[in-house]
Amino acid sequence: MFEGPVQRLIDEMARLPGIGQKTAQRLAFHLLSVEEADARRLAAAIGDMRDQVSVCERCFNVASGDLCGICRDTRRDQSILCVVERPQDIVVVERSQEFRGLYHVLGGSLSPINGIGPGQLRIGELTDRIGREEIAEIIVATNPTIEGDATAMYLARELKPLGVRVTRLASGLPVGGDLDYADELTLGRALAGRMEL
Amino acid sequence: MKVDWVTLGNFRSYDTLEWEPDPGVNLLLGANGAGKTNLLEAIAFLSTLRSFRSVPDTGLIGDGGAAAVIRAGVSSGDRERLIEVELSRGGPRRAQLEKSRLQKTADLLGVIRVVAFLPEDLDLVKRGPAYRRDLLDAVAVQLWAAAHHDQTELDRALRQRNAFLKSGLRDDTTLSVWDARLAQSGGRVMSRRARVIETLAPHLEMAYADIAGGAERAAIGYVASWGGDIAPEATAAEFTTSIMEALERSRRADYERRLTTVGPHRDEPVLLLDGSDTRTHGSQGEQRTMALAVRLAAHRAVADMTGEPPVLLLDDVFSELDADRSAALAKTLPPDTQTMITSARPEDVPVEGRVWRVGEGRVRPAGGDTVGR
Repeated sequence: MFEGPVQRLIDEMARLPGIGQKTAQRLAFHLLSVEEADARRLAAAIGDMRDQVSVCERCFNVASGDLCGICRDTRRDQSILCVVERPQDIVVVERSQEFRGLYHVLGGSLSPINGIGPGQLRIGELTDRIGREEIAEIIVATNPTIEGDATAMYLARELKPLGVRVTRLASGLPVGGDLDYADELTLGRALAGRMEL
Repeated sequence: MKVDWVTLGNFRSYDTLEWEPDPGVNLLLGANGAGKTNLLEAIAFLSTLRSFRSVPDTGLIGDGGAAAVIRAGVSSGDRERLIEVELSRGGPRRAQLEKSRLQKTADLLGVIRVVAFLPEDLDLVKRGPAYRRDLLDAVAVQLWAAAHHDQTELDRALRQRNAFLKSGLRDDTTLSVWDARLAQSGGRVMSRRARVIETLAPHLEMAYADIAGGAERAAIGYVASWGGDIAPEATAAEFTTSIMEALERSRRADYERRLTTVGPHRDEPVLLLDGSDTRTHGSQGEQRTMALAVRLAAHRAVADMTGEPPVLLLDDVFSELDADRSAALAKTLPPDTQTMITSARPEDVPVEGRVWRVGEGRVRPAGGDTVGR
């Protein structure tokens, strides 16, 4: 145990993902040794983030106003929605530069073990959007896990009756890889999702 | 397949250990609690990624340490490879193959294959169907590494479906989604079990005859949870459809009992002797012979399918057997197979091989090079 304020910072940081007691200790003493202004800037950045960041009213991405940058961009295709589990996933899809539509953040995936059912996800908000906006296609980009798959299936069952096209990201071979190195599982999925040439 | 050398760091009772087993038969002798089983457990772990004593990873880490390390040089044909696995208290397992980090520990599966005979193998015959399902699934993993993924997914989907049923909510759309996901992985698991049974059956019949020397015919069957046999030639997709239908039929019962009452997790593999269930009809002796025959058949089947005999581990098996069965088992041990046999009483083991003394955290060669009878 260290002096009260030091230990308090260590305990706070040790609660962050990926940071254990030892790392928390190192960070705390590092912050104690740097210029005071540097440490205060970090504290202010955390405070500012909490003060100034909001959730986009439309897609639930992180935003700094009522709407996020993507929803404000009128050049984007308003008829196609990509559904993701978390805001971080938007960044990944954006990096591909292949998608020019809008997003919808569910806030997780179905997981009864963790008490997460359809009511805990933003699925009602999604059906509202389909009723309100001119949406023709929903691309489901949940993770290829048991929970992500189940969520995708649930969305398909709920949304198809509303008259929109519901698609799921294909899973298959990594680009630039040799067929030799593909594991049996990936290859199996790629075979199941093969395309006509 | 062979283990050329193995080193352990903070694994169970071993602080540090380096051991170069003989490519043939190894007899590991030592008092009870000397650490013989721990050594076999480490080798088996590299193959199956689980302890054959069913303890979680943290149970394998020596007292006081934060992590355990198993390293081994293994060879298959003329290909030698280095495997490294680290188990740590706080974080996930890490594995390296030939010094390059594997994304998933499961990518190690198939690099080294083992079949282990354990003192509690009688459970395979005498106890509930879960033991026999595990046996089939374990053989499946030795044959097709991807089987591990399907089994993990089935288990997860089942736990999710049960958690939903336990919540008491009645929502058919949500339930049907879990049905579909369970059936998808379940179909793959069932089709692999069916193929394992097909592969295992002729070997089991011969292995039983080799040990018992009698005229009884050993066989293995499989009763699906919805009753009735399964078609061995059915595809995973066909099994998936059958599971979906069964889940739909039992929906009311599942809501009421708040758990999944049908599915691959309720199937019953049966070991048969002249057509009757060895679990209920076999004598003590027949059950023991059946347990040995099943392991031996697994070894022969995997050797057959992969073209290479897996490493054979026999943990304190002979002390449980009468003289006739010991002699019969010794005679049926496959040649050209790296074999590791542990015993506290060498006089019980009618097998010749390189002798090692195990104790005080070490494994030392015994005086003479080869002993035995």
